[in-house]
Amino acid sequence: MSTVKLIKRHELIVLLEHWGIAISGIALLMSGIFQLPSAARYKITAIPGFWWSGEFFFTLKLHYIASVVFVGLVLFHLVYHLLLQERAMIPQSGDVSESVKVLKTFITNQPEPPFGKYLPEQRLAYVAIAIPVLLLVVSGLIKTWKNIYAPDLDRTLLLWATWMHNVGFILFFMAFLGHVAALLIKPNRPMLRGMLTGRVTREYAEHRHPRWVSEIEKNET
Amino acid sequence: MQHDQQAGALSRRGLFKVSAALLAGVTGLATLPKQLLAAPLEGKLATLIDLSLCDGCADRPQPACVTSCKQEKNHTVPKPVDPIPSPFPTNIIEDWSKKQEVANRLTPYNRIMVQKAQIMVNGQEKNLSIPRRCMHCDNPACATICPFSANTKDKNGAVVIDQELCFGGAKCKTVCPWQIPQRQSGVGIYLKVAKELMGNGVMYKCDLCIDRLKAGKTPACIDACPKKAMLIGPREQIHAEAEKRAAALGGHIFGKQENGGTSTLYVSPVPFRELEQKLTPASPDPKKGQPLLKPDVKRKMAESDGLGKAVLAAPAIGLVAGLVGALGKLSQRRAEHAGKESR
Ligand code: SF4
Ligand code: SF4
Ligand code: SF4
Repeated sequence: MSTVKLIKRHELIVLLEHWGIAISGIALLMSGIFQLPSAARYKITAIPGFWWSGEFFFTLKLHYIASVVFVGLVLFHLVYHLLLQERAMIPQSGDVSESVKVLKTFITNQPEPPFGKYLPEQRLAYVAIAIPVLLLVVSGLIKTWKNIYAPDLDRTLLLWATWMHNVGFILFFMAFLGHVAALLIKPNRPMLRGMLTGRVTREYAEHRHPRWVSEIEKNET
Repeated sequence: MQHDQQAGALSRRGLFKVSAALLAGVTGLATLPKQLLAAPLEGKLATLIDLSLCDGCADRPQPACVTSCKQEKNHTVPKPVDPIPSPFPTNIIEDWSKKQEVANRLTPYNRIMVQKAQIMVNGQEKNLSIPRRCMHCDNPACATICPFSANTKDKNGAVVIDQELCFGGAKCKTVCPWQIPQRQSGVGIYLKVAKELMGNGVMYKCDLCIDRLKAGKTPACIDACPKKAMLIGPREQIHAEAEKRAAALGGHIFGKQENGGTSTLYVSPVPFRELEQKLTPASPDPKKGQPLLKPDVKRKMAESDGLGKAVLAAPAIGLVAGLVGALGKLSQRRAEHAGKESR
């Protein structure tokens, strides 16, 4: 085992960002669903350990706590990577047609083209998840402001915020499912190790992300 | 004699003057609502319910406020579909459309009810009447955490459920300390979405006759009250009036602190805690549309305000952390770079 050579894929900060957003995001999805009058009606409150699911004021507190982590990390992410000019996740031209080709290789078991650090579909997925996240953050902040300071907030603004939040919720939920489902595709699985430990095997990296590896090597020399 | 007569005339005239002044005073009192109303129904409003004036319309088969509210509002509830879809999995249907005459509890067709309390007032046994409806709270959870913003608070203070947007999930009822909103199944937008699976009708409650207010008219119940036991006007004026009346009665005010403050102030000659214990029928059941008084009830959502403020601060914290982190990283990179160069 000790002969397996690892290569650093993510720094610690990125792991913290990812898992912080993931865990708080799941907490937000759950406590958000329980903000609908759903738990009592569908008898979720009857499930042992889920008595709290029908307590709107309690699930609101959970939603707020998770929001502090989520919103804070989203802003951190934007500022941090913007200033460091790290744009590997920003889609490039041609990503859409490229990702279609890659998807075909998954189905046909053909060899994949050589990748950089990220797959074109990862860059697209980043945007697909970033849009609902931004919708949720902006509308959620408006709703929170209203809860505390402005119960009589302008009704048009309130309806916009409410429906941005509700639509954002559906999009975010779908994006989350898609993101997890990507692990069903076998060639993607080694990346889970990358997200958990920050490192992937050199073998995987050279085989799948040769353009990224050569970039690192270029930087090192 | 003549003198006497004159004196009598004079004194009679004097008496007349005095009584005229008195009368003016009394009518002045009686027309006080009008005076308050003379101020435009704009800005933040509040209502006053004076329990020393309300007699429950003892001389009528039904309190005038109740009758007028039914007249004003009941035709606005659409006829429910037949049959009403059975909501999965609870199968609980609330259909009041065939029981519109019910007046001893809150229903979608009875948005104001009059409770009774037998109680000693200044050593005399009295039967007090307490009109009950939505309090139009200052920061009402029923509105702020409605998932569809179907329930909103108007700038004038009225808390209004939009029957075009409400799914009838009854969250507003659950979070209201008095469980005021009432459901009519088989009406509303849920019928067009997933009628068995989601929603169960529309929630109804007093909306302070918002349409009438916008047209410059007073709410129907206030208009109809023969005792002028209810007033509406600019919030400050109503608050001042409530304080004045409570002081004059040696009485008590309800609605000022309850649920974090409301725009409905009750004035009573007896403490509301005592009133609560003497409500008849004894111990009303809020689940059955008979609200308790719950004097001093706290605004439950206030408990989460601190966390909410932390949410509002989170973007700034994230931003600063990102800035600090990035600058630290940049200087680290620069140092590494310099290290390499010097090697
Ligand atoms: S508030 Fe007025 S109308 Fe209503 S019961 Fe009392 S006296 Fe009658
Ligand atoms: S009394 Fe109940 S329904 Fe009315 S505004 Fe207050 S919380 Fe909402
Ligand atoms: S204000 Fe209007 S809706 Fe409310 S109780 Fe009076 S009549 Fe009914």
